[in-house]
Amino acid sequence: MATIDADNRREIARLPSRPISLEDRYDPPANFLEIEVLNPETHGFGNKRYTDYEIRMRTNLPVFRLKECSVRRRYSDFEWLRKELERDSKIVVPSLPSKAWQRQVPAFLRRDDGIFEDEFIEERRKGLEQFINKVAGHPLAQNERSLHVFLQDTTIDHDKYVPGKVRNS
Amino acid sequence: MSMQKAVDNSRSSNAGLSMDNQEKLLADALQNVRQHAFAMKRVLDQQSVMEGLKHAANMLGELRTSLLSPKNYYELHVVVVEELHHLELYLTDEFEHGRGSHDLYEVVQYAGNIVPRLYLLITIGHVYIRANELPRREVLRDLVEMCRGVQHPLRGLFLRNYLLQCVKSLLPDTEEENQEATKTGTILDSLDFILLNFSEMNKLWVRMQYQGHTRDLQRREQERRELRILVGTNLVRLSELECVNVERYKTIVLPKIMEQVVSCRDSIAQEYLMECIIQVFPDEYHLNTLNEFLKACRELSASVNIRNILISLIDRLTAYSTRDGSQQNIPENIQLFDIFSEQIAEVVKSRINMPPEDIVALQSALLNLSLKCYRDQFEYGNKVLENTRKIFDNIALDTQVQTGTPAAKELVKMLKIPIDCYDILDVLKLNHYKLVLQLLSYRERHTVCMYIINSILDKETIIPTAEQVTQLFELLLTLIIDQTDSPLETSRQTITNEDFVEEQNLVARLYNNFQAPNDPDQQYHIIKICQDTFKNGGLERMRFTYPPIIMQAYALTFRYKNIREQDEKWEKKCQKLFQLCNQLINTLTKLETNDLPLRLYLQGALAASEIGSENAETIAYEFFSQAYTLYEEQAGDTRAQSASLTLLIGTLEKVTCFAEENHSTLRQSLTQAATRLVKRPDQVRTLLLCTHLFWSAQRLNESTQKSEQVHDNEKVLACLKKATKLTTQIMDQSVQVQLYNELLNTYIYFFNQNLPDIDITLLNSLIEKLQNEMSKISSNENDEFIRNQIQKTFDYLRQQSQLEKFQGLQINN
Repeated sequence: MATIDADNRREIARLPSRPISLEDRYDPPANFLEIEVLNPETHGFGNKRYTDYEIRMRTNLPVFRLKECSVRRRYSDFEWLRKELERDSKIVVPSLPSKAWQRQVPAFLRRDDGIFEDEFIEERRKGLEQFINKVAGHPLAQNERSLHVFLQDTTIDHDKYVPGKVRNS
Repeated sequence: MSMQKAVDNSRSSNAGLSMDNQEKLLADALQNVRQHAFAMKRVLDQQSVMEGLKHAANMLGELRTSLLSPKNYYELHVVVVEELHHLELYLTDEFEHGRGSHDLYEVVQYAGNIVPRLYLLITIGHVYIRANELPRREVLRDLVEMCRGVQHPLRGLFLRNYLLQCVKSLLPDTEEENQEATKTGTILDSLDFILLNFSEMNKLWVRMQYQGHTRDLQRREQERRELRILVGTNLVRLSELECVNVERYKTIVLPKIMEQVVSCRDSIAQEYLMECIIQVFPDEYHLNTLNEFLKACRELSASVNIRNILISLIDRLTAYSTRDGSQQNIPENIQLFDIFSEQIAEVVKSRINMPPEDIVALQSALLNLSLKCYRDQFEYGNKVLENTRKIFDNIALDTQVQTGTPAAKELVKMLKIPIDCYDILDVLKLNHYKLVLQLLSYRERHTVCMYIINSILDKETIIPTAEQVTQLFELLLTLIIDQTDSPLETSRQTITNEDFVEEQNLVARLYNNFQAPNDPDQQYHIIKICQDTFKNGGLERMRFTYPPIIMQAYALTFRYKNIREQDEKWEKKCQKLFQLCNQLINTLTKLETNDLPLRLYLQGALAASEIGSENAETIAYEFFSQAYTLYEEQAGDTRAQSASLTLLIGTLEKVTCFAEENHSTLRQSLTQAATRLVKRPDQVRTLLLCTHLFWSAQRLNESTQKSEQVHDNEKVLACLKKATKLTTQIMDQSVQVQLYNELLNTYIYFFNQNLPDIDITLLNSLIEKLQNEMSKISSNENDEFIRNQIQKTFDYLRQQSQLEKFQGLQINN
């Protein structure tokens, strides 16, 4: 690019810019983040049942150690995450889908299956998906170790876990 | 560095996606556009430019949307640009009348949002350059760089496309700078402009790949393909600049384009842009940059379909080199074949997963090139064929390419190329052709063989030597003898199988093209080779393939007779030919139809008789008696028998080489055979035919060595009387009357021949008889025919009654 000559007109004056490298031109942008909440499964029998969901994540953000991972989490894990973030990060953490106390009333008093009802599980799944996507996309949340543990560790080991920050690698 | 817009991306693209939603959005946008445009036009009519610009900016605001699909955005864009044109016309008009405002270029930069700002800037810039308000070079540079402000792929692409369209006529296309104060720029500035615009557009286009959720990838890729012409237009514009010559193309244009194409590593972009380069720039340029182009091809990303690109280039250059019928368009120093041959080998080596059909397609294009550009140098074509065979040998030695696979289809296509380009005699010079043919399975070999034969027949190529015939048969072996890999081989070989019949008929027809025009001995060799080849084909094939050989052999005897002055051995050669035919026909008798061998024997007898060589009589007699034996074997089939007997009689009437002894034996046998036929009408008719054997048939007079007619009155009469007697014994009235008519006709013939004892009285009595009998037949349709026949006889007689000969004829209506 030639330089503009000195007696340029005001209307066509501008700042010189740095040319970008070929890699930067064509590389996929480093802002790719997709999290899906899928495959709800109910485990156990009778009173001791619980439902968990698959959290599948694909990303190319540098801050995440794994670019693809898949873990299983239950509602209480989400609650734990929310609590950690509220305490440690400065963001206003969005709310989770409701706890659904009504549905947890003993089975013989309800006509349907309570929290193991398919419709309800689907509703909850959508809500959880919205929640995790909003949270994981926030730069300040990305600095919290609790988020990385939640998304990328196979199980959340509450004994070993120590709250802290994660820096960009 | 990156902006975390991931969430917004998915949300916004999901929102507008449903079809109805899109339609409504587009409709709303269009309506807004029209409203603003209308307002703009109204205030422009009142000469208020500022107000006009304001409305224009509002209108352009509709192009800021993220919600429309590319197709719909395009529709919106078209309408907006159309309306913007009004503004441009107005301003141009103002300048022409000296009323133009001079500060608009600055003023529009105060527009609040970047998309309207840049569209207006481009429009004004266009007007100002034309009106010489601002220097062209600087403004163009400015515009192309300012467009960087829109980084959204879809909006950016359309904006830059608008820029390109606007400056179409403004790009400087001169070698040198002009001398005036305001520099207009040179071709180099134009190149800079377009190449920059191109690289930015390519960047945006590739970026589209990553926008949105992975589940929408297919749709996004389809949308990208729909927009490719926007990027391609830059290349088109480059090709339209006149000052771009081979040198500039090679040093500036192509390297810059290639840099972008190779480094973007996006297969959609690479496939399209490489193809675009080939199509858009002249062949001359390609010829001079082959190495660079092909090097870039090797560096393309692995999923690009390189086969189509290379084939496109090869085909184009092949067409270029043979344009106007000459092969001179390619300069001496560019060895097209070698270059491509090497490059293809490199490409194949570097892409290990290239499917075999792609490799074959590349070889096919190369073969096409070598056959068209190096027509008389068979070694090129041969080399390609050899390489192809090697490739498959490396993959799996001694295995056939499975039938129906894409690789098999490509191989068939490849093998058809030489057949189309050359005639078969030249194809036979490609001695590696058969190597590739052997790779194929039965079905494909069959297809190729049929194609070859059809081509020979269509082009009417004559194959003059035995050696070439042998080579041709090597290729066509699939059709000639049983193949180990053909399904249902024996069951398909019946005359009810149409395909089999068609195929063998073609092979047989081929025979007519084997002609050694001036060399009968060569022709004899050809016949021998055919016999040797066809005898291995099985009886069912021989049904089709032997008859032509036999007929050609007979024809050859005539040729030998014609040159008997020059060739003293001609009679021996004819003898050999007849012996050969005897052998062949004998084989054919094993087939169920006796008709064919019988006819062939009779034909042979005739031929021998015509030739008149020293043992023609022996040969003819042998053939005749063989035919007679076949006749006797038809005992069960009355219709066939009477037809065969008719043939025998007819042939004997024409054969002139029998001496009296042989001739009388045959005459008597045939006459007796006539009376032994089962059905009366057949007896009568055949007897009538036999009369000619005693009259006009010729036998050889041994003392004069000339043939003379038999003219045996007594026997003729005897036959006639016998025939008459038999006719009276027929019960079916209509048939009887018909036969009486036929009898009468024969008598008339002999009357005309002046046979003694046939006089007018005899005729009269017959006429009377016939007239009496006529009343007995009914008047239905079949008998209508008989009546007509009889009428014709009577008409003839009436005509003849004027002549002196027919004095005393009694015939009334």
